[in-house]
Amino acid sequence: MATTGGLIAPGTTRAVVVLRVLVVALPCVALALAIPEVPHWFVLVAVPLSAAAWARVPDHAVGIVPLVLVAGWWASRGVVDWRVLVVAVLLLAAHLSAVMLSYGPGALPVDRGLVRLWLRRGLLALVPALVAWVSVRGIDPSLAPPWLWLTTASMTAVVLLVTARLTRSDAR
Amino acid sequence: MTSWRPTPALVRACLLTLGGVTGGVVLGQEVLVVLAAPFAVLAVMGLVARPRTAPRVSAQLDHVRLHEGQSTTSRLAIDDLEGVEHVTRVAFEAPHVATQPAYGAAGALVEADLPTIVFSPRRWGRRAVGAERVALTSAWAGWVWGPLDLPERGFNVLPQTAPYDTRAEVPQPDGLVGRHRSRRIGSGTEFEGIRPFATGDRLKRITWPVSLRTGELHVITTRAEQDAGVWLVLDGLGDMGVSGGIDGAASTLDLTVRAASALAEHHIRTGDRVGMLVVSADGTRVPLGSGARHLQRLQGTLARVRAEARGVAPERLDLGAGAGSVVYVLSPMFFTPLVTATATLQRGGGSVVVIDTIGDAVAARDGDPRELASLAARMQKIERDDRLQRLAGLGTPVVPWRGPGTLDTVLQQLARRGRAPRVRA
Repeated sequence: MATTGGLIAPGTTRAVVVLRVLVVALPCVALALAIPEVPHWFVLVAVPLSAAAWARVPDHAVGIVPLVLVAGWWASRGVVDWRVLVVAVLLLAAHLSAVMLSYGPGALPVDRGLVRLWLRRGLLALVPALVAWVSVRGIDPSLAPPWLWLTTASMTAVVLLVTARLTRSDAR
Repeated sequence: MTSWRPTPALVRACLLTLGGVTGGVVLGQEVLVVLAAPFAVLAVMGLVARPRTAPRVSAQLDHVRLHEGQSTTSRLAIDDLEGVEHVTRVAFEAPHVATQPAYGAAGALVEADLPTIVFSPRRWGRRAVGAERVALTSAWAGWVWGPLDLPERGFNVLPQTAPYDTRAEVPQPDGLVGRHRSRRIGSGTEFEGIRPFATGDRLKRITWPVSLRTGELHVITTRAEQDAGVWLVLDGLGDMGVSGGIDGAASTLDLTVRAASALAEHHIRTGDRVGMLVVSADGTRVPLGSGARHLQRLQGTLARVRAEARGVAPERLDLGAGAGSVVYVLSPMFFTPLVTATATLQRGGGSVVVIDTIGDAVAARDGDPRELASLAARMQKIERDDRLQRLAGLGTPVVPWRGPGTLDTVLQQLARRGRAPRVRA
């Protein structure tokens, strides 16, 4: 695979550069979908900067910052229109680009089989988003019985605890 | 201790999922539920795919004996691949070692095949290859094992077997059997002449056509065929010029070692006995020997010649060589004591040939000729030329190394000189 020179580290392949560009651009595009509405200046500055840092180190914890900022800002608008679904696709694509980058250094050629695999997985992951979007738009939350919210909150707490237990490292 | 750790991608997916669900339930933010929904799939699948194994990872090289320019493949061995989806290998950069893929990074899905890395040493000498980092990733990129550091493996890279051949015979073969024509009459196959039959001659040597024509029994005489003792004296006192490996420029030591390797291989193939003396700080002497095993020993010795070693040139070269041996002194002749030792060897009656291995290592410098470095280089060159002229004046041939045919003319001249009658004082 061809390599690029200049600002990029020697040996970095074109596919890696493309994926890094996607990691930077997709959260910004997700924010730009709100035009003509303009987000808060902090969000406008923090999203590109954190996305750039994420693209530089794809397996760093900073990767959650642009996703949370974009999702939080869209949540603050409180409108569930078609753009929310597009934002979900864009954020998922940014996440998957970072996943593919995190398999190795920039000099690691991107395996086509791996790209196809994650493309399939990405499409599968979009199904719940579509279901949730349709549900949120079609179901009136005021009709839900009160115990449903309590049960959901309890289940969320259990899931939180289980996740924390599962992701605990075995290393001593 | 290495263990399976959650990847940042899994942690990110988990946090986004939990944050979205919590925000949706507690704060009533429906948008968060929609945005977090895709990450829920990734989080759940990543968590579920956690491997429970403790794989042992090792790497093996296909070859442990290489010449410069040759390559070997490093193959990964993992005892338990259950739950592993992807393997990444990144080899550390090593001087004068090229890798394939370039930059030493290789990765592949386990279902395809384990990734391999090809190492190719580009220069003779001690080289360390195989140092790398390996990381295993589980399905859905949820868990990672490693990165694990695998140790390097050092081995001596033998010099390139440069194509070398010569049709000239060594001047004074002195052995028992071999491919060189002797000056003595013996039981070889090379025709020498025809003479009348004498008592003790073998009957199968009788030439019947001549015997019938002359009426007297005549026999064919032949020359004996002998091997020769060849000594290779290497100048390992210094290394001038920059070595670019087998693909680039050659330093003086590169040329010396490669020329010695080519000469050793040629003479061993011819059936001669070859010895070697490395003149350096930790000088090595390999006695005369022949055969494939001896060639391996010679090449191994060449691979261990250290370019960094700085030693003192000896006043005389103690080869323990017989009068019939041919001595090749491979050197750029920068050190006067080595020149003196060579001249002493020549006076001792041996057939000494100096092979100049300076090559292009000390090329003319561009820029200001009054610059100190340029001035020093010119002075060094003048001194070197003077030494070589004085050596030539003593009757020691000096030839620059040019590969095949380098020694043809010189060896033929030495052979003629050897056949000329000598007057003893």
